[in-house]
Amino acid sequence: MATAVTAATAPSRKTETYTDTKRRDDVRGVNIAAARAVADAVRTSLGPRGMDKMISSGEQEVIITNDGATILSRMSLLQPAARMLADLSRSQDAAAGDGTTTVVVLAGSLLRRAQTLLSAGAHPTAAADALHRLATRSVDVLHGMAIPIELSDRDSLVKSASTALNSKVVSQYSTLLSPLAVDAALSVVDPAHPDLLDLRDIRIVKKLGGTVDDTELIRGLIFDKKASHAAGGPTRVENAKIAVIQFQVSPPKTDIEQSVIVSDYAQMDRILREERNYILGMVKKIKASGCNVLLIQKSILRDAVTDLSLHYLAKAKILVVKDVERDEIEFITKTLNCLPIANIEHFREDKLGYADLVEEVSVGESKIVKITGIKDMGRTATVLVRGSNQLVIDEADRSLHDALCVIRCLVNKRFLIAGGGAPEIEMSMQLAAWAKELHGMESYCIKEFAEALEVIPYTLAENAGLNPISIVTELRNRHAKGEKNAGINVRKGQITNILEENVVQPLLVSTSAITLACECVRMILKIDDIVTVR
Amino acid sequence: MERVLKDDAVEEKGERARMAAFIGAMAIADLVKTTLGPKGMDKILQSTGRGRSVTVTNDGATILKSLHIDNPAAKVLVDISKVQDDEVGDGTTSVVVLAGELLREAEKLVNMKIHPMTIIAGYRMAVECARNALLERTMDNKENIDKFRSDLMNIAMTTLSSKILSQDKEYFAELAVDAVLRLKGSTNLEAIQILKKPGGSLKDSFLDEGFILDKKIGLGQPKRIENAKILVANTAMDTDKVKIYGARVRVDSMAKVAEIEAAEKQKMREKVQKIIGHGINCFVNRQLIYNFPEELFADAGILAIEHADFEGIERLALVTGGEIASTFDNPESVKLGHCKVIEEIMIGEDKLIHFSGVDMGQACTIVLRGASEHVLDEAERSLHDALCVLSQTVNDTRVLFGGGWPEMVMAKAVDDLARKTPGKKSHAIDAFSRALQAIPTIIADNAGLDSAELISQLRAEHHKENCTAGIDVITGSVGDMQKRGISEAFKVKQAILLSATEAAEMILRVDEIITCAPRRREDRM
Repeated sequence: MATAVTAATAPSRKTETYTDTKRRDDVRGVNIAAARAVADAVRTSLGPRGMDKMISSGEQEVIITNDGATILSRMSLLQPAARMLADLSRSQDAAAGDGTTTVVVLAGSLLRRAQTLLSAGAHPTAAADALHRLATRSVDVLHGMAIPIELSDRDSLVKSASTALNSKVVSQYSTLLSPLAVDAALSVVDPAHPDLLDLRDIRIVKKLGGTVDDTELIRGLIFDKKASHAAGGPTRVENAKIAVIQFQVSPPKTDIEQSVIVSDYAQMDRILREERNYILGMVKKIKASGCNVLLIQKSILRDAVTDLSLHYLAKAKILVVKDVERDEIEFITKTLNCLPIANIEHFREDKLGYADLVEEVSVGESKIVKITGIKDMGRTATVLVRGSNQLVIDEADRSLHDALCVIRCLVNKRFLIAGGGAPEIEMSMQLAAWAKELHGMESYCIKEFAEALEVIPYTLAENAGLNPISIVTELRNRHAKGEKNAGINVRKGQITNILEENVVQPLLVSTSAITLACECVRMILKIDDIVTVR
Repeated sequence: MERVLKDDAVEEKGERARMAAFIGAMAIADLVKTTLGPKGMDKILQSTGRGRSVTVTNDGATILKSLHIDNPAAKVLVDISKVQDDEVGDGTTSVVVLAGELLREAEKLVNMKIHPMTIIAGYRMAVECARNALLERTMDNKENIDKFRSDLMNIAMTTLSSKILSQDKEYFAELAVDAVLRLKGSTNLEAIQILKKPGGSLKDSFLDEGFILDKKIGLGQPKRIENAKILVANTAMDTDKVKIYGARVRVDSMAKVAEIEAAEKQKMREKVQKIIGHGINCFVNRQLIYNFPEELFADAGILAIEHADFEGIERLALVTGGEIASTFDNPESVKLGHCKVIEEIMIGEDKLIHFSGVDMGQACTIVLRGASEHVLDEAERSLHDALCVLSQTVNDTRVLFGGGWPEMVMAKAVDDLARKTPGKKSHAIDAFSRALQAIPTIIADNAGLDSAELISQLRAEHHKENCTAGIDVITGSVGDMQKRGISEAFKVKQAILLSATEAAEMILRVDEIITCAPRRREDRM
């Protein structure tokens, strides 16, 4: 084997030089340029002092956001490589939920270095292979820096959630929102599957009015609609017995087409009476089971309730919430620990859910129905987000989502890592040192790409209005002295031990950012042609 | 001159027609040429249709079948690549490149005033000779199970090394070989289900024995069933409507309407009872199951899955050994499916239903994970290629080395033949050998190697008896293919050789292209 290696060294120089036709260079150049343009567009929104973007869509709708994934998904990109970058940010959103800007900025910087390498004559696949090794190695470096964490350690969780929130519009509320996100997330973790967190179990209800300060976590359920009290039904029920029904309290309707023939006046009277009796019969059955709160699924085939049935229900002192969407049923039944009822015949007491209080509350201008004190409540949580205008609410929603994702990452992989550019500079240093041990084109490529990682601290400093060069060099200096956790403290405008400042993020965010960015860049490098097809 | 053809029909004759065919075919070959080999490049396919969707691929068949093509000869090449994909699954690029090279050589010969028929005769002799040369050098490890498995691993890795999975090729080769060996010789790849779930990295992909259905379990129903008896059905679970148009019921009172509704509900209840009467504990339906029957099933403790897609239930019926039922009157005539455990599992973000211990032991599911849709789609294509090749190899166990070795072996045999053959045909045979050598040349070129140097070294090596030398693209030198473990299936190589030559022959025979007059639209006056 050893002989084979030595024999291979002589011609191997040729592997890595690359001569190609003009056209292919062009395609690659165009791809890289387009992808970098996208990266540059979101670069200024990185970090706690990053700027926001205002996006106005074709329908005159305006969004103000700082979230990389949202910005990129709203940009109408046509160039295929540029679209790959937008996809990249979406993947990061799906994998980690946070770091969507970081990943794109990182890919942009790697591409810039790749272009230099290509023009120096490196073969694209040599550069791509080097990137793959770099990614694997970087993950090792990150693991080396990571700090294990327990889910019981609420403080650390709150810290990492607030790091994610710090760069957002709602950053001034991070003291409120991050504990809220942590509590919401922890309350839905199932002890049977401690490493799974399904964010679908957390519902975010947005309501205009008030300020973000009024956002609260509700241990129970909220309906963003009024209780129906057309006929003066109750709006507050204590010791509620709740039924979720999937049938309709209205005059019967058959699946087959039917028509009622009325031939004289007396018959008309009789039909009206029969209708009344029919509905009264249903309501009596409902009442008989002891139910006093009724959640009715929306129906498209026929009216879920009529004025008449509402009237009877109100008389029976039953609080009614109508038009519940079908896809919400699962969440509701899970929370209330009850079963949906699809037919009046099956209306039994054992299918009901119990709660201490169901009441209609006014929030701002409108009203919501709140169910609290649920007996044997399922592992779900509801967050009521408030804000002074729609833009703020939407952004608060997105930010809260990011914070929840951060917690989810920590649940999946229980490691924390320092923020503030510390991991990137550490990776860059260690990789550069590693590159010196390698030979040939690989060493050259890795050295170049290692430097590319410095873009993150550089941009952080730049966006914070600091002098990027002096900051990055000082950071490098401190890391060379062995201070692994030295990072940019944006608040103080200097380099400090970033762990002491409580700027931490989940390990998963960093690892997935570097692996995804490398994968995307490799893909772009390997493309030599764009073919237009059907 | 009087026109023989209709007004808009175009006729190209003789030299011009042949030129058009050559140029078209070569253009196609050149387009996919750069994707050949382990260091081949990828292409972006940008659709002009709605959504302007983007595909990044290295798979010859995928590129070719999505192209707009107007040249008839180019269409022939696209077709052979499609056939190659259907028949053996791999070598879709090689076949087109070889056909292109054969035509390039033929063009030179035609310019030397050699009649196309002479070229064809020469090519035919060469193909026969090349094929025999390959047959002599095949290896067959059918008897030795361990060795055969390592052969399969090598083939899978060779196939995957040119694809996106190259970085994790050992892992995926293992996956693919395991999956194919489960099939026990059948080439029915339908029993292998490939499920794509975005998220995680490629290394998180795994092979699962059993079947995974991407659906949800109905509300309030058991989430885990052991010793499941499964009824797979395609039936409406709302109401059996009267299908006669305009049928309607006339009644004269509200009570009667209520009665009809109750009767409908009763009918449904009976239907559900009949289904339950089959003694099942899992019911899978292709159509929706409405709230009412869902609740009935929940009450009976039966797991009901609604709205499973067509492919899903057909596969499920296949692997569990059941049949799709649509009437439930004769429980004895319905074949139920069986499996040991049904449970809900979570992959990434999504909850899926997992059927394990299914009747058909061959069945398995490969769950692919990856960063984005692009990666997943390409990974699926690559894995599909590997699976196809492997399942073919299990049937035809003959194996060859890779890395340009078969081409050089063939080229050598054809060269010898050329020297023995008198007459003009020998030029054609010579040309055939050059075309064969073009494949390793392109592989070397794509990797940025000095192809002229390497090919001459390789040819010198092959002059010795029983040589196993090929191009090792990774180190960029001539290496021993046996040691490197680079293998290919004989069936793939043979298919490449034969169909490329046939296609080239077909295009060579052309001396006139007639484009028919397009059918006119009626003028709307």
